[in-house]
Amino acid sequence: MMVSLGNVLFNGLAYGMLLFVISVGLSVTMGLMGFANLAHGAFAMLGGYVATTLMNKAGVPFLLTLPIAFVAVAAASFVLERGLYRRLYRAGELDQVLLTIGLVFMAVAGATYVWGPGQQPVRMPDYLTGQWTVAGIDVGVYRLFLILVGIAVTAALVLGIERTRFGAMIRAAVDNPRMAQGCGINVNRVFSLTFMAGSGLAGLGGAVGINLIGLDPGFPIKFMVYFLIVVAVGGLGSIKGSLIAALLLGVFDVGGKYYVPEVGAFIIYAVMVSLLLWRPAGLFGRR
Amino acid sequence: MAEPLLSVRGLSAGYGDASVLDEVSFELEEGGALALLGRNGMGKSTLLATLMGHTLRRGGGIALRGRPVERLAPHLRPGAGFGWVPQERDIFPSLTVEENLTVAARHGPWTLARVHELFPRLRERRSNLGFQLSGGEQQMLAIGRALMLNPALVLLDEPLEGLAPVIVEELSAAIRRMVEREGLAIILVEQHAHIALGLTREAIVLERGRIVHRASSETLAQDHATLERYVGMRVAAKAA
Ligand SMILES: Nc1ncnc2c1ncn2[C@@H]1O[C@H](COP(=O)(O)OP(=O)(O)O)[C@@H](O)[C@H]1O
Ligand SMILES: [Mg+2]
Repeated sequence: MMVSLGNVLFNGLAYGMLLFVISVGLSVTMGLMGFANLAHGAFAMLGGYVATTLMNKAGVPFLLTLPIAFVAVAAASFVLERGLYRRLYRAGELDQVLLTIGLVFMAVAGATYVWGPGQQPVRMPDYLTGQWTVAGIDVGVYRLFLILVGIAVTAALVLGIERTRFGAMIRAAVDNPRMAQGCGINVNRVFSLTFMAGSGLAGLGGAVGINLIGLDPGFPIKFMVYFLIVVAVGGLGSIKGSLIAALLLGVFDVGGKYYVPEVGAFIIYAVMVSLLLWRPAGLFGRR
Repeated sequence: MAEPLLSVRGLSAGYGDASVLDEVSFELEEGGALALLGRNGMGKSTLLATLMGHTLRRGGGIALRGRPVERLAPHLRPGAGFGWVPQERDIFPSLTVEENLTVAARHGPWTLARVHELFPRLRERRSNLGFQLSGGEQQMLAIGRALMLNPALVLLDEPLEGLAPVIVEELSAAIRRMVEREGLAIILVEQHAHIALGLTREAIVLERGRIVHRASSETLAQDHATLERYVGMRVAAKAA
């Protein structure tokens, strides 16, 4: 049976929104702070484990685990940033890649040790498990929830960056760090907080997405390519670009796997290569 | 004797291996206005950047109202009392005019309303982005932004450079008002020596990173030989 285009679009959007929530923080750290953090997926994985542990061991309701995953991962990323990343801000990209790849392997091994090698079992609450049929499209409540989370995150980011004083400080610090300091802005702290927020979002994404993309210790490696594609195609540091790139990636990945299963896994690479040939700096990259 | 507002002692600084400032010492009293003159490349901007903590200091001290500040991180210097209007203006291009002002705001007598009163143009342009401004407007914004920090001392690096004569007059009037009516202390770097000397009370001249001449602005304005020697013919001729 052929899957309807509407279903592919809906499922692709839900998947894309999830990729956006997880990846946008990476785009921010790579674009604004020039730090190549390949361990970003490990933050998402940590958020997932925080959520499953809270749910399965402590009976914490799913919705409540999401903000906790955000805060816990943001806090963990703060420690890493102060302790390790900071020293490599001025170093070359190769040093940053080597450090963060090392962290990925440590995270994979650590997660296997603590949580075991298998998939984490999760049970979504009943109110997220239903499905409606709207105009011939099967609308899963859980996927709809992912889309809503993505919309909420986008709105919060855009308003936070465009409308708040802290957002103005981020933009000032990116525009001209020296002058920002001359205006009394603690540029290091602004970047630190931005980094924490981006990592926290990855943690939130890892937690909210388990039911769709699963959770096992291989997570940071399995999805690294997806996060990097979002950043590269979207353009470094661009929220709008990350959103569009993530949605395209989601739709093409889901569509490819439904319609042409033999080559489905390769569709996204073809899309990425064509987009980057067209716009080498990404859809909204400034270069 | 009252404690000076700013006291710079034996200050040496540069960039990386290059040494630019050599044992610079001077003082500025509360509400004082100092012209900092010298040809291009003599170290005027470097001196202001050193006060803001953006160069490599090799020795010497900086005290603001008796408090040593030479070791303070750059982002803490505005809190100590410095307001900086850099030579390139350095307006934040992705902030609106109003955000450029409020992002720097610290509590004190200078508010958005008072900056708008000083430069009404900034009120008209408040929703424009930083990069959409003319040169004169950028300069007004850079000065307004420094005022929003409610500084004890404003460092003005060639604020009149490259601007049309009407704008130069408008900005000169604003600087005069800052000094005479508001009692703000300034250090004014300027290629137009005659304008700088008309806006200040004291002057120092830098030559290859050293202070080679000190005088009251009034005296130096008459001293064509010194101006010609250290600041250049063109400027001296204009001053005559
Ligand atoms: N960022 C920098 N890095 C290295 N050298 C610099 C830098 N800025 C200025 N210089 C050098 O320092 C010297 C003094 O420059 P500057 O302070 O800008 O002079 P002025 O403002 O009096 O024209 C010049 O020789 C200049 O080339
Ligand atoms: Mg200069």
